[in-house]
Amino acid sequence: MYRTAAKRFLGVGFTTSRLLRLPKPRPNPTIITPYSHASALCTSSIGHTESPIGNQSVNPNQSDPTAASSSTAREEGPRRDESSRKKPRAEFEEEQARVLAASLRHVPRLGWTEEAMIAGSREVGVSPSIVGSFSRKEAALVEYFMDECLQLLIDRVDSGLDLQNLIPSERVSKLVRIRLEMQIPYMSKWPQALSIQAHPVNVPTSFKQRAMLVDEIWHTVGDGASDLDWYVKRTVLGGVYSTTEIYMLTDDSPEYRDTWAFLDDRVKDAFDLKKSIQEAKYFAQDIGAGVGKSFQGLMNGVMQTMSRRGGSSAF
Amino acid sequence: MHLTSRADSSLSLVSSSQGTNFAEAMALRSISRRFGSRVLSYRSSSVASLHSHATSFGFQQVKEEEKRKLVGNVFSNVASSYDIMNDVMSGGLHRLWKERLVGKLSPFAGMKHLDVAGGTGDVAFRIFDAVNSVKRRALRKVDEDSLEETQIYVCDINPNMLNVGKQRAAERGLGDNKSLVWVEGDAEALSFDDNSMDGYTIAFGIRNVTHIEKALAEAYRVLKRGGRFLCLELSHVDIPVFKDVYDLYSFKVIPNLGELIAGDRESYQYLVESIRRFPPQEKFATMIADAGFEKVEYENLVGGVVAIHSAIKL
Repeated sequence: MYRTAAKRFLGVGFTTSRLLRLPKPRPNPTIITPYSHASALCTSSIGHTESPIGNQSVNPNQSDPTAASSSTAREEGPRRDESSRKKPRAEFEEEQARVLAASLRHVPRLGWTEEAMIAGSREVGVSPSIVGSFSRKEAALVEYFMDECLQLLIDRVDSGLDLQNLIPSERVSKLVRIRLEMQIPYMSKWPQALSIQAHPVNVPTSFKQRAMLVDEIWHTVGDGASDLDWYVKRTVLGGVYSTTEIYMLTDDSPEYRDTWAFLDDRVKDAFDLKKSIQEAKYFAQDIGAGVGKSFQGLMNGVMQTMSRRGGSSAF
Repeated sequence: MHLTSRADSSLSLVSSSQGTNFAEAMALRSISRRFGSRVLSYRSSSVASLHSHATSFGFQQVKEEEKRKLVGNVFSNVASSYDIMNDVMSGGLHRLWKERLVGKLSPFAGMKHLDVAGGTGDVAFRIFDAVNSVKRRALRKVDEDSLEETQIYVCDINPNMLNVGKQRAAERGLGDNKSLVWVEGDAEALSFDDNSMDGYTIAFGIRNVTHIEKALAEAYRVLKRGGRFLCLELSHVDIPVFKDVYDLYSFKVIPNLGELIAGDRESYQYLVESIRRFPPQEKFATMIADAGFEKVEYENLVGGVVAIHSAIKL
């Protein structure tokens, strides 16, 4: 629902535009409100810029293609005035975001459950009845967390993450590692989150969120391809991410060293796989060329015969 | 004036012999005889032509003060057979509808809930059960705050209905339970404090209220911030063929069932007429939004025979 608020302010193409690689729109500033809470939870918080907590103010500290952010900020002003009728809806979504953000603090103790959300709503000063109105309750909490982490990742990248000296496979490793580290505080309850995401009702949303995440990582790494390769790359990275995430669940090593080693190996495999697919493709083309030539010859013969016949009938 | 004084005298006769079917039927029959000749002409006039001090009692136009009394009589009359009639008329479906209502509410331990016009306690018992099973499950993760007691208030304007409810509570062994509180009161003028309730439900009751806006305003007043308003009500069906089947069932079958089982045709005639006079789903949703509620939504059950409207106070 917080995404739909963003969509309304920034136009329909918000989520789809990410996948189509349009210039990154800034999300609704109200989503940033729990930002400072979320960043406190994230272990790797180096280089974060603090955002002022303000409901309707645009965050000036975000380092971003400034043209894009200031133009959307200017657009948001007049648009907010004329859509004052829709304000109640936005208010509900703000409240929901606030409650969910507060609930995250209770998750390590109470799990991804209604109890955590009830505790969160009590903290915010709202009647816990509001939890009853969240669609697919626990899933709302998990999805909120996933979106928050994606946003954090984007912000980390925007605020100058150094990727220049790394080869693509190392870049991918680093980004996946950053993202997975955000889940460390919730690791004890993460299996529950995964099972909630796997529930058939919730699969469409969780799939979409993972797709967005994977797309973001590839985009940051510097991939601009838009052919069939695009799907292959994202699927492969999706697989790498999921397997690493699950490995992490049972990893006891200090600071998850084993997980990062596992991740590096998988990413290397993926890139090697890519190379092997390329080689297989060239091989197939070479063979195909041979077969294709003879097929071409056949087609040419057929065309000539037909044109001769057509020509003669004209007379 | 002449008519109302006659109606008054017959009603006073009724109130002295409270609860007897014959007296109620007499009263209603006398009123309907007087208004009967006007019913046809009134039926053709739309709600828009209603002048400010008249309201609808089924398809009849009555003075506002009268509606309260007439409704009171209807429910005094039907109280004892209310539950049986519900089962027969809806084929047992009303239980599912109430389950759905309570499911949507998602009751939690420590909740302060108000069920208005819930005389016989159907919704209240379900909420009580839901909270106590939740409490048992969550016992190992109990938050200090939720150790406050759950309070479910059942408010009804009709003492007869409340008595049936108290009886049923006693049968379930909840007679002395502090969580269930039976209160006599009017939906348009609740005796509860502002911002005191986490939840407010009204199941099959808002149709009978004289001023719906007042009831909605009261609901808004007593709810806390974040509190939910849920209304289960018989509503309008728009599906072509099904609508006709439903109309046939309503006007032909239900009053006859009322006569057979509860011995009271007029009350059930009133019931089906009041359903038709109630605003349709969208209009009612607008009324709820006008009272100040947010995130107003409605869900049709059985193609619109029943609708659950929900909203939040923010």
